[in-house]
Amino acid sequence: MAKKGATQSPKAGSKPNSQTGDAQSKNQKADRRKSNEPVVEKVAEKEEQREEETEESEEDESEDEQLQIRANGNNESDSEEDSDENSEDEDESDDDSGDEHPTHHIDFEAIDDSDSESELDSDEENDKKQDSNKAQNGMSEDKMDVDKDGEDKSGDEEDEEEEIDVEELEPEDEEDEEQIAAGTRTRQTINNKEGLLTALRRIQLDINPKTTPFSFHQSVVASKRTEDSIPQIEDDLQRELAFMNQALEAARLGRSLLRKEGVPFTRPTDYFAEMVRTDATMEKVKQKLIEEATAKKAAAEARKQRDLKKFGKAVQVQKQLERAKQKREALDKINQLKRKRAEGGSAALGATEADDPFDVAVDNELSRDSKPKKRRADGDHPVPNPKRQKKNAKYGFGGKKRGSKSGDAISSGDLSGFSVKRMKYGGGAGGGKKKANRPGKARRKAAAAKR
Amino acid sequence: MAAVYKTIAKVTGSKEDKDKEDRSNIIAERKNKQRVLVLSSRGVTYRHRHLLNDLASMLPHGRKDAKFDTKSRLYELCELAELYNCNNVLFFEARKGKDLYMWFSKVPNGPTVKFYAQNLHTMEELHFQGNCLKGSRPILSFDAAFEQEPYLKVIKELFLHTFGVPQGHKKSKPFIDHVLSFSVADGKIWVRNYEIREVEKVKGEADKREEGETEKPKAAKPGSKDTDINLIEIGPRFVLTPIIIQEGSFGGPILYENKRFISPNKIRAELRKAKAARHHARMEQQRDLLARKRQLGLDESTPKKKDDLDTRELFA
Repeated sequence: MAKKGATQSPKAGSKPNSQTGDAQSKNQKADRRKSNEPVVEKVAEKEEQREEETEESEEDESEDEQLQIRANGNNESDSEEDSDENSEDEDESDDDSGDEHPTHHIDFEAIDDSDSESELDSDEENDKKQDSNKAQNGMSEDKMDVDKDGEDKSGDEEDEEEEIDVEELEPEDEEDEEQIAAGTRTRQTINNKEGLLTALRRIQLDINPKTTPFSFHQSVVASKRTEDSIPQIEDDLQRELAFMNQALEAARLGRSLLRKEGVPFTRPTDYFAEMVRTDATMEKVKQKLIEEATAKKAAAEARKQRDLKKFGKAVQVQKQLERAKQKREALDKINQLKRKRAEGGSAALGATEADDPFDVAVDNELSRDSKPKKRRADGDHPVPNPKRQKKNAKYGFGGKKRGSKSGDAISSGDLSGFSVKRMKYGGGAGGGKKKANRPGKARRKAAAAKR
Repeated sequence: MAAVYKTIAKVTGSKEDKDKEDRSNIIAERKNKQRVLVLSSRGVTYRHRHLLNDLASMLPHGRKDAKFDTKSRLYELCELAELYNCNNVLFFEARKGKDLYMWFSKVPNGPTVKFYAQNLHTMEELHFQGNCLKGSRPILSFDAAFEQEPYLKVIKELFLHTFGVPQGHKKSKPFIDHVLSFSVADGKIWVRNYEIREVEKVKGEADKREEGETEKPKAAKPGSKDTDINLIEIGPRFVLTPIIIQEGSFGGPILYENKRFISPNKIRAELRKAKAARHHARMEQQRDLLARKRQLGLDESTPKKKDDLDTRELFA
């Protein structure tokens, strides 16, 4: 690798020539193309101009010297091609630069220059300036080739460009000359558009919509750049959405085109065939989905429970606070009362204490305070039902309960509820009720045995 | 079932007008004959292998072969492809048991594109719900950017040959139920695969779609008219960074080189270097500290100078 880098001139190194046999046929092809396709030719010319520009700054002073180098480079590359080109891997460029570091002093400025110049694609103005030069060169380039390098007739497009450069360019930079002499190879961006288009033309399928049915190739080119609709490439969601939209557009267009051509598109529901993903995989996917759904549900449930618990706790705390508040209020009231009484009856202090050793007044005061509350509570339960009312009337509601049911002298003497009729004839309104047909015990037993 | 369908299709096809027959004749003339040799180098990881299998399952015109032995003499792949009558090669080159490079090549005389593949996700590990017929022909959806640069044009053509199932391939299925989409973003090519599912059209969307579908011929099935398309991803997913394009197949002059591509080896080395720099800085500090201590005579190794006012001297 290092050897390659050392022996080749920058151009030759970056664009190794193909074997001569191949190349000649290519040359013929290129000629044929020239006659057929003027548009492409124009592109090629522009390309050459650009190439020249990049060269201009780098070429050295003496033509002869450079030619020599170039010839060497080409020879080397020709012979090396067979062995080297196939062993090319991604490490190549790295290796090269790595090898060069110790042996040759790399001119970093030059590298920078080359990088910037290699992006000249956009510099259209410069191209135009040189257009006039170009036309002349284009005519003479092939002849030059023949004259100068007899053996080096690897008439690639790239080669042609190089030849022009050699003939044309006036030497300018001493630095660059030294660089070339030292054999350093600056890394350039290679974007040989003409070569790419040639290669493309060689393999291109005819997918012209006028001559070729869509079902032949089934490829759709989107109407707009997908990249423009992605604000941030790191944003997965937006990016995938943009891709999806591109595909959706293609699918819709494709479907309408295919239907127009009468190609079956939709799979009938009764058409069964092997799928890309097996049933087992799909089953797994389904399982996963179910699992996810249940997990989500469970999580929601758990969260609800947690919230409830939190809420319950809040209620509890509220209650406790309320209770504490009540207690505090009560205590306050008692203290206030005590103070009031102490102030009011300070003269007869001893007497009051003797009169009211159990703080009955305080109790009264408290109960008086609490009474309105109770009343309000009563108001909450307005009129009890009739049964309750009766019971209340009978058993009382509040008041003395003890002994209220036992008879006394008055109740014994009260005969208002006594009726002779009932007593004597065992009938009346109440008597009939009593005759419920409950048989005697023996008869009942007999009935049970029978059953 | 397939055979029955074919016979029915043939019968209905014969009834249709002559214009269609002419078209089919044209198709017969212009045969798109593609066969793809799908294989990997040695040293692929399980993920690479699964991705390879996924791709192979989508390519009925593919020929999967055993792992290729060498990574240096890739031109031998051409002979291998010729042996199998393939004119495309899709080669997975694994490096260091972690990096995957994908080569797309037209076989006898190029071009060849080499990609660095990242963010690989196989069909199985992506739990997407989509599915499609094995061997159905995909609709290939290309980003508009593919028409704007020559190198992307070449890549598009190669994708078209490799991933596009040729019409009338004997292993292909007659219906179209998935889209392979290639998008360019961030200098990389993102590949996605979606299932086309036809669903009942939503009311709001109905009128919007109407313009596109009014031109539909009467030949289209009556039931399918009022369906809309829904895409569901199938997988796999991967991202390709173009590295180089060569003119020949696995050889020849380099037509394009991506300046923005940085080798993963370099990135890893950079990371390691950054880590090493931290370590070096720390060691440097330590060395400085030691030197300073030695200067001040605080080091244990150097014997202490005897001081006249030392307690031991004074009260000896």
